[in-house]
Amino acid sequence: MIVVSLALLLMALVGAPLFAVIAASALAGFARSGIDLSAAVIEFHRIAETPVLVAIPLFTFAGYMLGESGAPQRVVRLTQAFLGWLPGGLAIVAIATCALFTAFTGASGVTIIAVGALLYPAFQYAGYPERFSLGLITSAGSLGVLFAPSLPLILYGIVAQQLGVGRPVSIEQLFAAGLLPGLLMLVMLGAWSMWRNRGLRVPLSAFSWAEAARAVRESAWEIPLPVVVLGGIYGGYFAVSEAAAVTVIYVLVVEVLVLREIPLARLPDIMRRSMVLVGAVLAILGMALASTNYLIDAEVPAKLFDAVRSHISSPLTFLLVLNAFLLVLGMILDIFSATVIMIPLILPIAIGYGIDPLHLGIVFLANMQIGYFTPPVGMNLFIASHRFGTPVLDLCRAAVPFFFILLAAVLIITYWPALSLALVR
Amino acid sequence: MPPGDASDAGRLGAPLRAAMRALALAENAVLVALLALLVVVTGGQIVLRQLDIAVTWADPLARLLVLWIGVFGAVAASRDNQHIAIDALSRFLPPRLQLVAGALIGLFASGVCAVLAYEAARFVQFEHEGHTAALGGTPAWVLALVLPLGFALIALRYAIFCGTRVRALVAGRGEA
Repeated sequence: MIVVSLALLLMALVGAPLFAVIAASALAGFARSGIDLSAAVIEFHRIAETPVLVAIPLFTFAGYMLGESGAPQRVVRLTQAFLGWLPGGLAIVAIATCALFTAFTGASGVTIIAVGALLYPAFQYAGYPERFSLGLITSAGSLGVLFAPSLPLILYGIVAQQLGVGRPVSIEQLFAAGLLPGLLMLVMLGAWSMWRNRGLRVPLSAFSWAEAARAVRESAWEIPLPVVVLGGIYGGYFAVSEAAAVTVIYVLVVEVLVLREIPLARLPDIMRRSMVLVGAVLAILGMALASTNYLIDAEVPAKLFDAVRSHISSPLTFLLVLNAFLLVLGMILDIFSATVIMIPLILPIAIGYGIDPLHLGIVFLANMQIGYFTPPVGMNLFIASHRFGTPVLDLCRAAVPFFFILLAAVLIITYWPALSLALVR
Repeated sequence: MPPGDASDAGRLGAPLRAAMRALALAENAVLVALLALLVVVTGGQIVLRQLDIAVTWADPLARLLVLWIGVFGAVAASRDNQHIAIDALSRFLPPRLQLVAGALIGLFASGVCAVLAYEAARFVQFEHEGHTAALGGTPAWVLALVLPLGFALIALRYAIFCGTRVRALVAGRGEA
């Protein structure tokens, strides 16, 4: 069994698709316990029994359409019109835009490519230091993971529900739990950016009612979207999957029929590309359903909890160790695989320490979010390097201050559970 | 054509290349059609509910569509080698070792998916023998057919992935 595990670990490290690695470990586990191997496929088939999953292809498709349309430019212009007059205003614009965009598209590098590329020239034009601009864009690329309707939040909710930990973990509650911690990250990054560029006395632009009105008119079709979707979900008018359906139809009508920024002929390709991401996420999720089932059968989480508890007695120490562990994990594993692989192991332990599953989810995702740009191997460093033609080492240096600020935010989120739980009804 | 197709299929013989291209086109068409249907079903359901018309089969159909989209999306991802993987380490391997790793990965993934396809075929057979009815009276085994089909197509893609890298290794390439 140890030989099999080591071989699988090696395959994962040299870059084998993770769904196959998870599937192989589930198959090996079933074989060892004398369970029919078709159990793996039957568990995978449970994808068709999970109602909230309907939201994933719909939101992803809508996000890809938004990325292809002129929406990123308009959102930048809109935030610029309202926030550009602040000292360090452009940095605030970048942070706000990236967060909004990632919430809708899922943290998959889409933000850096679609929004970062738009903001980078603006930073250069406004005279921001090169290193600051690159660091901000790279780190802001994963902001927004904690805001509805982000894919990682939905995925965490699904995995937690499958585990049946005794307390219900609804996606709507998770959306509410992520709001304040997400805002904390934005405020801390924004405050630092303003302080760091306090010497840059030239504000981006004076506030002008005329420009604000123009920007609002230009984005007239996009502004209702977050209001309807977020208002609908947070206000309890829509279920998540209904909100997703509304989003897709709204975006389709606006970008394809009204604004005509996406020609009908390009739609199939956008659909295909967005569904490649969905296929990749559902493949690891489906296989994780199988491996989780095996893990619970073999009572692995319970044994793990006993082992951990013999070394760590207080929930606070556990969270501290968890933070450190997740930071390393986040560098190597993307947020989706990390969620489906680690949550079945971590959540039961956390519950054992009396930690709220909603709070744990926010801590976990906030940690994973930093992992995206943790030097030296965070994925967004490579995406940004590719996109801006900058050596990865330069980006690592540029990302360091941002890393420490968001790390501080994660520590606050971790040790102040009320921040996550205050808004949960 | 997605870029991954061209680079991989480019190392295959002409008839096989044409066949793979046709297969990819068909898979893409199915994927796009499934998503379009999902949008129509979920959107239509909201409209109908406003009119107080309940459609009982809409929810199970939408969930089934998600499974099918997941499977065909996973097939498309395997074609472009866009499955989620850890690339933090393989990025730093020298080109020739990357080919070796690629061949191993292809062999491994293809093997796992072949086992899954076989088990999925058995699952379909159980459903057939059990005469389980699902959506609107359609036999459950018909709806589950997507699983063996999908895993077999993914296994095929990773077998090709492995084969092209082995051939590149044999041909002494590695500086690509």
